[in-house]
Amino acid sequence: MKMENMSLSGLDNTKLEALAQDIYSDLVEDACLGLCFEVHRAVKQGYFFLDDTDQESMKDFEIVDQPGVDIFGQVYNQWKNKECVCPNCNRSIAASRFAPHLEKCLGMGRNSSRIANRRIASSNNTNNKSESDQEDNDDVNDNDWSYGSEKKVLIRQMDNVLFSLPGELSSSVNTDPYKYNYNTGINYETLGPDELRSLLTTQCGVISEHTKKMCTRSQRCPQHTDQQRRAVRVFLLGLSATSLPDSNTAVESDGYDASDGQVLMSRLQWDGSSDISPSDSASSKASTNNSDSKKPKKKKKTSLNSTGGGGGGSGSVGGSSSQGCLAGQANRKKPKLPVPPAPSIYDNLN
Amino acid sequence: LISKRKPQLLPAGCSHVNAYKVDNWRPNLRVIYQCFVWSGSAETRRRKAKSCICHMCGAHLNRLHSCLYCVFFGCFTKKHIHEHAKNKRHNLAIDLLYGGIYCFVCQDYIYDKDMEQIAKEEQRKAWKLQGVGEKYSTWEPTKRELDLLRHNPKRRKMTTNCTIGLRGLINLGNTCFMNCIVQALTHTPLLRDFFLSDRHKCEMQSNSCLVCEMSQLFQEFYSGHRSPHIPFRLLHLVWTHARHLAGYEQQDAHEFLIAALDVLHRHCKGDTTNDNGKKANNPNHCNCIIDQIFTGGLQSDVTCQVCHGVSTTIDPFWDISLDLPGSSTPFWPLSPGGDGGTVNGESHLSGATTLTDCLRRFTRPEHLGSSAKIKCGGCHSYQESTKQLTMKKLPIVACFHLKRFEHSAKLRRKITTYVSFPLELDMTPFMASRWASTNYLPPGLYVLVRYALFAVVNHQGTLESGHYTSFIRQHKDQWFKCDDAIITKASIKDVLDSEGYLLFYHKQFLEYE
Repeated sequence: MKMENMSLSGLDNTKLEALAQDIYSDLVEDACLGLCFEVHRAVKQGYFFLDDTDQESMKDFEIVDQPGVDIFGQVYNQWKNKECVCPNCNRSIAASRFAPHLEKCLGMGRNSSRIANRRIASSNNTNNKSESDQEDNDDVNDNDWSYGSEKKVLIRQMDNVLFSLPGELSSSVNTDPYKYNYNTGINYETLGPDELRSLLTTQCGVISEHTKKMCTRSQRCPQHTDQQRRAVRVFLLGLSATSLPDSNTAVESDGYDASDGQVLMSRLQWDGSSDISPSDSASSKASTNNSDSKKPKKKKKTSLNSTGGGGGGSGSVGGSSSQGCLAGQANRKKPKLPVPPAPSIYDNLN
Repeated sequence: LISKRKPQLLPAGCSHVNAYKVDNWRPNLRVIYQCFVWSGSAETRRRKAKSCICHMCGAHLNRLHSCLYCVFFGCFTKKHIHEHAKNKRHNLAIDLLYGGIYCFVCQDYIYDKDMEQIAKEEQRKAWKLQGVGEKYSTWEPTKRELDLLRHNPKRRKMTTNCTIGLRGLINLGNTCFMNCIVQALTHTPLLRDFFLSDRHKCEMQSNSCLVCEMSQLFQEFYSGHRSPHIPFRLLHLVWTHARHLAGYEQQDAHEFLIAALDVLHRHCKGDTTNDNGKKANNPNHCNCIIDQIFTGGLQSDVTCQVCHGVSTTIDPFWDISLDLPGSSTPFWPLSPGGDGGTVNGESHLSGATTLTDCLRRFTRPEHLGSSAKIKCGGCHSYQESTKQLTMKKLPIVACFHLKRFEHSAKLRRKITTYVSFPLELDMTPFMASRWASTNYLPPGLYVLVRYALFAVVNHQGTLESGHYTSFIRQHKDQWFKCDDAIITKASIKDVLDSEGYLLFYHKQFLEYE
């Protein structure tokens, strides 16, 4: 089509339409050509095949939209046993308890200074491992953590120690006794037989498989069974080991009820961890709504539910959401927050 | 026809161009591109229109080609350029529409690296002349990348029905606040693109770079793993670098977002470059990806009531915190359906507050009162004044924080008022420009201030105890609910009906500078 200088004003509608149609079809053809060139270039440059995927395996990645399962088709809440290694102390920690562990590990918790002092005051043969052991051990004692729930654990365990036969402790006891083995770094290998004997008359003495240190709790320590205690004495002192007070005499009061909780609690408080204030009585803690406490505490996700509910009792601690995935998230902000080190331009404007 | 089954390694270029690439071939080729292919200036366009016709049949179209060896235009369709090539043994021609080089010996279009480079450069210049600016060009693999890909054929294509890019996060003990922010960040399109294209060059000596960890996080999300990820290293790094956050004292998702952005920004030093060549470690002129995406400019105009002089300052911001009705700060309910009230298509069911209402309140002129007199530079004395905040520079990602947690001296509570927020947000009414304040927007510019919702963080529960979950957007219009380790499909209705605590909006159209 030859180009001419043409005036459009003299043309009637049909001619104009024909022109418009021509222009339109030219444009469409050009666009198609452009696409052809793109494909041609992709093939020649060798990246056309990049689109290829393995159809079979793509099916594995299809989104699932069914009740009761997530988008991967997995049932909810099967991730209770995940673990991770703390970058600070290199210990293996249950993932769901990593944050509380890290808080202490980094020395940021509210009781970290107390823990640190204790560490300083303990025996001289500490190595890194035992230090971190201590910190972890304090999890059990550290009352500002899962405050109310902690007490419930101890009470429940005590319950089992008192009323079960030796060797028959139910699974509600901490399933990983070695993890929370409380010790101040007593290494049985450094003690002579006399020292050991005297030690074993007052202390539990069960040796942690993890750290090889002896438990310094009382002889009624709920973390370990009487059987374990007997075994240790046999091991350390030979078959003529002094006898343990056997489990039947462990009960000093006639019965166990909630009001005795406070009494029991004080007995279970070793080493003067004095974070309990008088207002934090066991009875108030026994209620399911922990948020009533004077010092507003965060509700913690407890992994208790996963350790099997042998001891029964209160079931879900703190009474929250159904799936055991508590993740209580209190948003307690202090009115004045420390500003991050960056200059003030990053303060958000309210 | 190339079979898809067996990707053939055809040579993209050919040896016949070697005869052409002699003497002054580069400037010659440039001239051809400038004048006859891209035609950036009006003059070249006119010339092309007039003189680019087939020397044999006079056609303008028909896939006109220019000979590379002499001044000859011939159409491809009628094979006039082929005839010329045969007669004169000029074996190269260029397509005047798309600039492709045709080799008559190979009888195919060929792609020579050097010549393509010239073509691209000239095209950019032409765009500039035409006022088009930079245009987006898709990624092309290098030879080495192609090689790698060929040897690793296991590839997953992300279709709209694909779970890749989605992953649950284990709760480490009340860390749902962190998990929600991680979900929002990993689904921020620009941030995702930055990390997946490996743009972070770490300059930190130690192993404690948060940006590296972020990069690793994206790798985890796109790994195809179905089990939830355990973000313990992330928690450790954030607590190490933002000590004020550590411990269970302050666990607000919004706070975590700000702290995380701050640490990321600080660790981004290795990636910041200035056109001037200076290292941009000046916090006021940072060009790191965090600032590019999240930083906007908030303009504060203080007007003296007496002399009407205006004092203006502009401060950078990463997010906007909005007061809600029902808080102890006075909230003026602006009439729903008033000017611009429904501009964002938010539902006004029975007078529910909208995000637009909150933004209007945020940008309203506020009389500062007699107890807060400002020293006026014009009057040289303390005068009453009004202050107004507007958006001077819009960030690419706008994060709105609804202030639901009240911590005044008299009361501490959570404000659960429902605030309706839109899927698409027009920021025009809140901008500083003169024309914006009169709500008049020249056509075509609307697109530049249009934002799309892509993540919502919600808090259920009370001030003392609660749980954070989030909704994130994937594949344009699919939404997913992220509840720590559990990711499920959600409807848009679920998202828009939720309470809303942190709202993340992404600019829909990006301009290239």
